[in-house]
Amino acid sequence: MSAPVSTASLANKFLGAGLAGLAVTALGLFVSDAHGVALSYVVGITYWTAVAIGMLMLILIHHIVDAGWSTVIRRQFEHGLSAFKWLFILFIPLLVSVWLKPGFVWPWMDLGHALHGGHGTVGEDILYQKKASFLNRNMFTGMTLAFFAGWVWLSARLRKASFTQDGDGAAKRTFMNRKTAAFGIPINALALSFAAIYWMKSLEYHWFSTMYGVWFFANCMRAALAFGVVITWWLYTRGDYKGVLNTNQLHCLVALAYAFVVFWAYVTFSQYFLIWNANVPEETFWYNIREHGDWLWVGMLLLFGHFFVPFLSWLSYRRKSTLKPALVISIWVAFIILVDLCYNVLPALKDAHDEPLPFLSINLLWVLSSVIGVGGICVWSYLKSFATAKLIPIRDPRIVESLTHHEATAP
Amino acid sequence: MNKNYGIIAAFDTVPSLYHACEQVRDAGYSQWDAITSFPIHGLDYAMGVRRSKVPRFSLAGGITGFCTGMSFIAWLGWVEYPLVVGGKPMFSPMFAFPVSYELTILFTAFATIGGMFFLNKLPMHYHPVMKAPQFVRASDDRFYIVIEANDPKFNATATRDLLAKAGGKDIVELEE
Repeated sequence: MSAPVSTASLANKFLGAGLAGLAVTALGLFVSDAHGVALSYVVGITYWTAVAIGMLMLILIHHIVDAGWSTVIRRQFEHGLSAFKWLFILFIPLLVSVWLKPGFVWPWMDLGHALHGGHGTVGEDILYQKKASFLNRNMFTGMTLAFFAGWVWLSARLRKASFTQDGDGAAKRTFMNRKTAAFGIPINALALSFAAIYWMKSLEYHWFSTMYGVWFFANCMRAALAFGVVITWWLYTRGDYKGVLNTNQLHCLVALAYAFVVFWAYVTFSQYFLIWNANVPEETFWYNIREHGDWLWVGMLLLFGHFFVPFLSWLSYRRKSTLKPALVISIWVAFIILVDLCYNVLPALKDAHDEPLPFLSINLLWVLSSVIGVGGICVWSYLKSFATAKLIPIRDPRIVESLTHHEATAP
Repeated sequence: MNKNYGIIAAFDTVPSLYHACEQVRDAGYSQWDAITSFPIHGLDYAMGVRRSKVPRFSLAGGITGFCTGMSFIAWLGWVEYPLVVGGKPMFSPMFAFPVSYELTILFTAFATIGGMFFLNKLPMHYHPVMKAPQFVRASDDRFYIVIEANDPKFNATATRDLLAKAGGKDIVELEE
């Protein structure tokens, strides 16, 4: 292990980029369609929350199954969890808008919002009335606060136990984390499902899909694993991981990412297939507007880019166990997840004829500025946390097993 | 006398076997094997064993399974028994997908199992090493290296010297 190089200047660069991105997004509210900017910001903050949720879930799963090989990589995910409190702070403007300007981001919050085609207002809509006990501003605010409270609390518990163990090496920290995992997994599962429903799915509140939370979960896991590979590459090329990380751990990490490629495809196809097969207007409209204009091609891009490209490229052992190809495919996956979120959120922006605004529009600029803005803050938070703890959990009971991890076949 | 199968040498410890394997590997032999009573981590690397070819069978099985599902359902809907169900087309990859996907898994599993048995030639009811003295200890406390006579580099004297130099004991030639 070489001497750690300071990450302070790198962290400041990301902080600068983050603040710049947020400033550009805020500027967009005045120079562009504000609703479009707001939904772009929803995409940006959901994207990075998905990364953090996935990292949290990976740590919880690591503890609940008492995993060995992932101990080396787990520490980086723990640093990633430090972003939750900043994500909450960045979410506050959206919560403020709920109360100051209802309907500005989520149209259903404005009960007087007119539905297209002379169907009255949201408040007169029977499909809204039936869901009103779930879809109201109090519930939205309370639930969002609860999601972040759960995430921040679980993250703090996991981080504290793990970082303290570096000093005292007590096995009870591991047992404590296992208990946290036992109740943390259902908490995180519920929080991420409801977050997906409230933040994204409710934009088109007429729609039903029981797969939605699972779809979001699949993206969370894929995002966390993709960034896990990016972090691994960064630490390896920087020299930190020399002599620590071996081919077998990398292969396991990417094989897990590969499994979630198939899982994402399974879930996303199931959602499409069930709606296609049942052919009920309350459900099919959601896909119909996503076949309008250039959204059809975005859907095709997701089908091929989100599934076939990583699926076929990662079939080969070499591309799972070699850092460079694994990195390239992971960056592609991280990008296409963003497109997937855009596909789910942005068609809620309608023109005067109730048709979705095209994908290729100025809103992509605000998506970009939001992703850079929120992402810069998250990476800055990760790097700040990175400097405060050891590279790997050196006194974890499983660390030797992890460092000498060997799979059945020769590299 | 029967045809010569090869030469077997015994080793008492894991490290001595491991380093002997490295020497045999570096000497360029290809038709040889190490016999241990339990898996030894990294021995495949010391032996220079390449990755298994089983995944190629799996891939072929998976592609066959997917195409079987799709083509059977297409043939059924278009040719054999055209029937409109729920206003859906006679054939669509949408409803053929779940079945094709299941067949992909099924055929992949069959091809993987079959490919494994094809490549490792199991079950094998007779093997010449059974004749070696004290070979019974291979399932107890000793480790063995067998170099086959059909290896292009095989030379009765040189191979025996190599194994002796690597620390092999009780070196004997095996009959077919």
